Amino acid sequence: MAIDPNILVKVAAFAGGGIAMGLGAVGAAIGEGYTASQANLAISRSPEKSGDIFKNMLVGQAVAESASIFALVIAILLLFLDASTANLLQAAAFLGAGISMGLGAIGSGVGSGFPGGQSCLGISRQPAATSKLTTNMLIGSAVCQTPAIFAMVVALILMFMDFKNAPALPTWAALLGAGFSMGLAAIGSGYGGGMAAGASCEGVSRNPDSVGNVTTIMLVGQAVSQTPSIFGLLISFILMFRVFPESTALSPAMALLAAGLCTGFGGIGPGIGNGMVAQGAVRWVARNVEHAGDLMRTMLVGQAVSQSTAIYAMVISLVLIFVV
Amino acid sequence: MDELGLVHQLIIPIAGYKITINLEVILMTWIVFIVLILFGVFASRKSSLIPRPWQVLGELLVAALYQLTEDALDKEKAEKYAPMIFALFLFLLLSNWLGLIPHLQEPTKDLNTPLSLGLMGFVIAHYAGIKSKGFKAYAKEYFQPMFFMMPLNLIGELAKIISISFRLFGNIMGGSIIILVVSYLTYSVLLPPLLNAFFGLFVGTIQAFVFTMLTVVYISVQVK
Repeated sequence: MAIDPNILVKVAAFAGGGIAMGLGAVGAAIGEGYTASQANLAISRSPEKSGDIFKNMLVGQAVAESASIFALVIAILLLFLDASTANLLQAAAFLGAGISMGLGAIGSGVGSGFPGGQSCLGISRQPAATSKLTTNMLIGSAVCQTPAIFAMVVALILMFMDFKNAPALPTWAALLGAGFSMGLAAIGSGYGGGMAAGASCEGVSRNPDSVGNVTTIMLVGQAVSQTPSIFGLLISFILMFRVFPESTALSPAMALLAAGLCTGFGGIGPGIGNGMVAQGAVRWVARNVEHAGDLMRTMLVGQAVSQSTAIYAMVISLVLIFVV
Repeated sequence: MDELGLVHQLIIPIAGYKITINLEVILMTWIVFIVLILFGVFASRKSSLIPRPWQVLGELLVAALYQLTEDALDKEKAEKYAPMIFALFLFLLLSNWLGLIPHLQEPTKDLNTPLSLGLMGFVIAHYAGIKSKGFKAYAKEYFQPMFFMMPLNLIGELAKIISISFRLFGNIMGGSIIILVVSYLTYSVLLPPLLNAFFGLFVGTIQAFVFTMLTVVYISVQVK
């Protein structure tokens, strides 16, 4: 079956753009909806603060939208970029870029809705802490975007790197695998980071004096929740930059694709689980600031244990890449 | 777009091995060193009860970071480790901000810098653990909860180095790639300064802080 490579690349670019924007629209919409629903609740509790709450809601939604704006940028680039070379590899790279960005935007979009919603509720509960809450929300939801930024970086590298010298036959699967690895692994991490950020906004509103400790533990918790997406980034870098020996057999190609899928799917659960741990720790630090050190240690140990499944997935991916 | 992934390297062949030195990274690291040493000299020179601006800045930074260290460790250990934590934070902060100046690059953009700092933190944390608990109690922790969990615990410990260093590397390098691509597409009009402010100042500060805090907490997990 011979397909004109030019057409193949165009098809892949269109499909990739569609996937990037289609999936990228999912998460941010849910997150923004959550923010708005909590803002409604907050306004009904304290209508006299409706101006502040409304402003805060719009700012929170604007930040939550950035993941899907990343997806929009990648989709537009995919639709209008002229491919320098027309071959199977370029097509796989475009498709992989779309998959990485589309899947990668889901988690961050949903996650960054939580701090927005919780800070709106917090303003109704504790109007004096409005500026602290807005600052905390901005930091929290900006850090939530990290997995989406990783996904965008992988997508940009896939689109702009020159893969001409690589042998086409197993490498096409490696490029697709790189997209899946980063995109899927970013879902859990983005969502989990959002849970921690939401809990921190709630905590600040309950005890505004604890804002320093709460923000510190939120940042550490979010950073550790992002570890699965860092594993996804690592695997997709290995898949993109390692030169694989040429082979026309199907099994090496499938091993590379499976390596990407393995780390990707394996990162979803640990990301959300780590987010739950961080959520619990942050929530209780606000109520019991004296024991912030103990809570942080327990959080870290708990996250390390719940992360072990992501590490197993990464080990299997490395075996698939280097041994099989 | 040819700069994507380009590194200037000095390769010295010695006895069949190739020693590769990334020249730009070393130059940038030295710039950070010099600025930090100058800051230290200015902040501590002619210190007096009525402080001058540099002294105020230095004292504010030291006090804030010392408090964070003491929250995570106890008082005695905080006094011991706070200078290291302080140096680490300032080095990372300045490294991440360096990319704001045209023609300079963040040393943390090269994986070697975060990886060696991550290894340093790992070694210090485990040294502190062995020293405070004794080697037997330290080694016993690897066999918790069951003796056959040892390899998995070991992999989990090693994965900490990967996650801490790739977190910094991915954020800083990701930011610089996004800035590079956007500058190329928009001919450096309007958007790149905003992106520089976000990725350089904001993300750079947060990641420097997160790296430092994680190093502190890894030490505190080992000693308790």
